[in-house]
Amino acid sequence: MSHIHLPDGILPIWLWVSGYIAVILIWATLLRFMKKDNLTKRLPLLGMMAAVMVLGASVEIIPIAYHVNLTVISGILLGPSLIFLATFVVNVILALFGHGGITVIGLNTLILSIEGVAGYFLFRFLWRLLRRLTLATFLATFLALAISTFAMIGVVSLGTSHYEELIHQEEEGMIGFEFGKEKEAHQKESAPEKEVNLKRFISIILPLGFIGWVLEGIITVLVTRYIQRLRPDLLRLEG
Amino acid sequence: MIQLSYLDYSAVEGKSFLHRLSPTLKIIGMLVVLFVIVTVRSLPGLFLLYVILLILFLMAGIPKKIFSLTLYPLIFVFLFIFLSGVQIFFILLVFLKVLCGSTGVVLLLASTPYPSIFSVLGRVLPSSFVMALFLTYRSVFILLNVLEETQHALYLRGGVQWKHPWRSLINTSNAFGHLIIRGIDASEKMYESMNLRGFKDKIHYRGE
Repeated sequence: MSHIHLPDGILPIWLWVSGYIAVILIWATLLRFMKKDNLTKRLPLLGMMAAVMVLGASVEIIPIAYHVNLTVISGILLGPSLIFLATFVVNVILALFGHGGITVIGLNTLILSIEGVAGYFLFRFLWRLLRRLTLATFLATFLALAISTFAMIGVVSLGTSHYEELIHQEEEGMIGFEFGKEKEAHQKESAPEKEVNLKRFISIILPLGFIGWVLEGIITVLVTRYIQRLRPDLLRLEG
Repeated sequence: MIQLSYLDYSAVEGKSFLHRLSPTLKIIGMLVVLFVIVTVRSLPGLFLLYVILLILFLMAGIPKKIFSLTLYPLIFVFLFIFLSGVQIFFILLVFLKVLCGSTGVVLLLASTPYPSIFSVLGRVLPSSFVMALFLTYRSVFILLNVLEETQHALYLRGGVQWKHPWRSLINTSNAFGHLIIRGIDASEKMYESMNLRGFKDKIHYRGE
């Protein structure tokens, strides 16, 4: 829910190119400041967690078009730098299976990594504050997903004028047989309906998103508790 | 996601002209498809591209079971229809762009073994990124086996039942937890075995 499932050719070029540029800059900065040995050593772990996210994305809840992201738990386990690299890889693999467009990989990486990075920091903060694993995990996941959903809505809203251009394409290309005043009158009548309605989009996304945030929050809590029972060292909760 | 193994099987075992074509040419072809999707805004143009891709799909002898993978992204597109209201032109445009994109990538993946794709990408992209991509793809297959085993175990023991949603949710989440722990264990073993085979910052593909 919290990343763009738009196909290629819908978002304006400047928007998705900016997404790619931002991702490349962040990737280059991370590589510059990470020790090469450390990255090489952790690449198999990054690959495994990215694969877990890919498999999580394949479990579809059809009626609300929702799938678990597992980004927050991956962020908690990988840390803020590696989760960014992992989300980039996840988005490339998902795009190769037709799950989201290839051109929106950059933007989706930014949105999903916001979720992973925010989830990591919120979890650490809430754990220090509350010392209760269930509550800290649930709140961290819920808030991280809410933040990334709003980021997704923000990105989609940036392309409003472009969607309107696409919708009005029909008038230029396909209804060329209408004449003079009749055509103008018809356009005036139908103008409000032919505009992009972001409010309607948001009013559908947010309630569905809310169900998703709660569901993902519960699943992340249960997964975290399972990990704490079997491998508490992975969560690094001491201190 | 289970269809991933069919994709891989089709890519390795297929004998059609598309399978024999150079991976570089196929990746260039995919970029052309992408360019058309991004730039073309006419329904007949996109429809023509979709028909061409369908013909290639049939001619390449790719298993029919894989075709459903190309329709999967349509589930999400319904949400974006509400963005425009119910504008038939916009809906058809979005549907055709989705179908062209997903059919194009599935065609590429079902006719080209993934090491060949990553080998081509390795020439233009940073090695750390291509390595991460390769390890993720490999890990998906390792974890897919674990997931299938866990799923079978859950179903055989009645672990997922609509009558008991809370218990089912706990069991499904435990399955994900199990998947993560097995994945982390496998990643540690993978790193050790890569080191034993002389891994030094770069994966070399056959033919390099």
